[in-house]
Amino acid sequence: MAQVVLRDLVKTYGPIYAVDHVSIEIDDGEFVALVGPSGCGKTTTLNLVAGLIPLSGGDIYIGDRLVNDLDPKDRDIAMVFQNYALYPNKTVFKNLAFPLQMRRLPRADIEAKVLAAAKVLDITHLLERRPRELSGGQQQRVALGRALVRDPRAFLMDEPLSNLDAKLRVQMRSEIKRFHQDLRATVIYVTHDQLEAVTMADKMAVMSGGVLQQYDSPAEVFAHPKNTFVAGFVGSPAMSLIPLEAGTDAGAATLRSPDGWSLPLSPENARRVARATTAKVILGARHSTLKVHKSAVPGAVAGKVYTVEPTGDITFAQVYLGGHIVIVSLEPQVPIVPDEPVWVEFDQDKLHLFDGETQQALPRN
Amino acid sequence: MSAIADTPAAARPRRRKPIDGWRWAGRGFLVLMLLYTAVPMIWMLLTSIKSGFAAMQFPPQWWPSEPTLASYQKLLDPQNSVGQDFLRFFWNSLFVSSVTTVLSVAVAVPAAYAFSRFHFPGRRFLFFSVLLRNMFPAVIFLVPLFILMRFLGLVNTHGSLILTYMTFGLPLAIWLLKGFYDNIPIQLEQAARIDGATRFRAFLVIVMPLSMPGIIATAIYSFIGAWNEYIYAYTFLTRNDQLTLPVGIQRFFSENTTDFPGLMAASFMMSVPVVVLFLVLQRYFVRALTEGAVKH
Amino acid sequence: MTTVTGEAGAPRRTPAARSGVLRQAWINRTDYLYVLPALVVMLIVIAYPIYYTIDLSFFKTPPGLQLKDKVFIGLENYTAILTSEVFWRVTLNTIIWTLASTVVSFVFGLGSALALHRDFIGRGVLRAILIIPWVISAVAASYIWKWIYHSDFGVIGAVLVELGLLSRPPNFIDSVNTVLPSLIVVNVWREFPFAMIMLMAGLQTVPDQLLRAAQVDGASAWQRFWHVTFPHLRSVSTVTVLLLAVANFNSFIIPWIMTGGGPSNASHIWITHIYELAFGRQRWGVAAAYSVLLFIILMTLGYFYVRALSRGERKEAEG
Repeated sequence: MAQVVLRDLVKTYGPIYAVDHVSIEIDDGEFVALVGPSGCGKTTTLNLVAGLIPLSGGDIYIGDRLVNDLDPKDRDIAMVFQNYALYPNKTVFKNLAFPLQMRRLPRADIEAKVLAAAKVLDITHLLERRPRELSGGQQQRVALGRALVRDPRAFLMDEPLSNLDAKLRVQMRSEIKRFHQDLRATVIYVTHDQLEAVTMADKMAVMSGGVLQQYDSPAEVFAHPKNTFVAGFVGSPAMSLIPLEAGTDAGAATLRSPDGWSLPLSPENARRVARATTAKVILGARHSTLKVHKSAVPGAVAGKVYTVEPTGDITFAQVYLGGHIVIVSLEPQVPIVPDEPVWVEFDQDKLHLFDGETQQALPRN
Repeated sequence: MSAIADTPAAARPRRRKPIDGWRWAGRGFLVLMLLYTAVPMIWMLLTSIKSGFAAMQFPPQWWPSEPTLASYQKLLDPQNSVGQDFLRFFWNSLFVSSVTTVLSVAVAVPAAYAFSRFHFPGRRFLFFSVLLRNMFPAVIFLVPLFILMRFLGLVNTHGSLILTYMTFGLPLAIWLLKGFYDNIPIQLEQAARIDGATRFRAFLVIVMPLSMPGIIATAIYSFIGAWNEYIYAYTFLTRNDQLTLPVGIQRFFSENTTDFPGLMAASFMMSVPVVVLFLVLQRYFVRALTEGAVKH
Repeated sequence: MTTVTGEAGAPRRTPAARSGVLRQAWINRTDYLYVLPALVVMLIVIAYPIYYTIDLSFFKTPPGLQLKDKVFIGLENYTAILTSEVFWRVTLNTIIWTLASTVVSFVFGLGSALALHRDFIGRGVLRAILIIPWVISAVAASYIWKWIYHSDFGVIGAVLVELGLLSRPPNFIDSVNTVLPSLIVVNVWREFPFAMIMLMAGLQTVPDQLLRAAQVDGASAWQRFWHVTFPHLRSVSTVTVLLLAVANFNSFIIPWIMTGGGPSNASHIWITHIYELAFGRQRWGVAAAYSVLLFIILMTLGYFYVRALSRGERKEAEG
């Protein structure tokens, strides 16, 4: 296993930046998720690392080797594809053996390695079948197996779970995580599902429009999103984001909504808002930091329930504060109905504040 | 539509709706098409087993009163001058068609693959200029090509035919194969390249076997086209021992204008190889058309 | 209601200088190697002849292919063609031949494809039989039909006489009035299977779900065909009709072998006429001028052909 370093990676298609100066350092044995909406450049980045498409600029190091101009076959990496890319005309055994054959290993070694990998993934009984005779989950295991048989410097995975049904996906998620822990493998994992990234990765790289937005541990990304894009993308349900205007109310700093309501700020938050380039500020709050009251409370904002979504152990509700919806959560036993008036209290210590112009997070101190 | 749904008839079970009318019309139509298609072929076979005298009667013998294989024996007898010629023509056709097929596939496969996978500038222009070749009739090219072949020293050789036939087979071959390659996920090659194959090896080991139906279809198309071609062979070849079947038969029967059983037997013999080839491999051909031409 | 979505989306554009066509071509230079063999063959056999034909059309040529002695005469060949009576006769024949062959082949092909789409016993065999004429050589087909049309011993004439419809066998291909329709029958015989194969392939792409949905919505068999099946066949139909039209416009073998263009030019179409001018009467310059006119017509047709074919292509290029 090896360290992987991407320095100032650029890929252009005609006049478009598909990957726009992305730099990421991945330590030996680290599991990094590249995450973002479709078209954000994450798969392109992965293909650049694999060498499947030529670089437009920047450097890629795998281990201590500069691999910019190396063919995929010489980069010593393994890759798992979204559609598994199993060779349809070969049996499972031959699929697993293919990478070893290409490296001209002796027949006996090939067989031993294939059987070992098959045993680990519990697919020994499938070895003589062809890919189209396998279920989605089985195909997924074979694809993983083909990556495992060798001892590559890094594993690249391109949305490997997105073709599976929900239940299987959760199961394979923990298996891949286990497999990473056992092998101490360096993994670069592309997904559009932020939940996958948060649950599996040591670090996540959030991308949008070809630009790396934030590269941190999932906990850090969740707690301190650097801008409104990351804030809105990571976490489910999404963080509520409300554009407001900074001002003063009887000498106290407040955020005012054009709909008429306002939120007084703690002195700490008032200092943060003062750092914004203009008076425009975007307020962010996760459902877990919002408290719902059935009667007026000082500092709480009056609103009206729009929809109620019970999920079993927690109930989500969308609440209109003036013209903006925020998502709140309640204990399932609390009775709440649509159109009911409620009061929403913000936790001043856990408010996210963003500059309304630059969309960047306003720093804490 | 809603007006129909409101009538009581629509409430009745589906099976009793007058769809049957369409079904019977379809069957009737198929019977007519079968007659149109098959009667000439049957008449060819019936005539070919008559004697010359029996064929020239009016009203005709609907069924040969004394069936004979004499015409076939004559064509296949190497001792007889007619048989000698026919077997020679047959061999020439087989040679020209086979070589054309092999070369066409060898040229079409990489070109189709490139058109499918690569995005080099001018790709679309080149693709359509290749397709445009299909637009032009042989006659336009006849004189200049004849002069060109004379310049290359290829007149009266099978090389002139092979070179020419390749170009009329290529456009459709490239088009069909491109459709095939478009349908093979690029991830398969990428996986192979990561697994340690060069780009060319990935193509050879992974992509080629998957495109075999397309390649077979392309080969059939080239073979049949070459086997049946007439104008170039008629123009480029003058020596009797070089002729291919269509021209050879035409030459022969312009001298023996009344030997209809012989003519029908020769037509039948000439059709057998391509018809058999096509019937055996037709599923590849239909599949290639579906994947290559239609699903664009 | 307004929502803040963050700055997701539009990627930055590069400075213009980086995307020159030549630069792209150079980056992808090895890709051209794959196309090179096909291109070389095409160039030799297409580009050169086209140039040659255009050049020759401005010359008066002596008989025989001793073209060293040709004389430049400008547009005289063209004016000679356009003022000749035969030209207009042949042009009319070509239009009738092309239109009738194309339309009838397409209709027969469509009917057969639709009737064969439903599964029944013997469908595979029937389909195979219907395809055979397309595979048979046009030379063989011409001889088979020439025999069937024979003015003394032809089987069709005999049937008509036996049924008492006629007193003596008709002259199908020896009469100015019936020769063209008779040849069209032969041409359709060979060509409708092609339309049938194409349309059968097209029918396989019509989604069953849509047809079932239409049935649930109460559409009749005809309405289902018209509103669901036919729109799905539109692009394959366009391609098929164009391919048929081009092939018919370019036909040579059937009229050439069956009648040689006769009687009195009644079955001459452009291609047979050009061939006769060149190789029969050795008027190479006039034949070349004819070819150039043909070329212009075909380029016009070809424009629509490429447009029809490229519809799918363009989608793919954007994707």
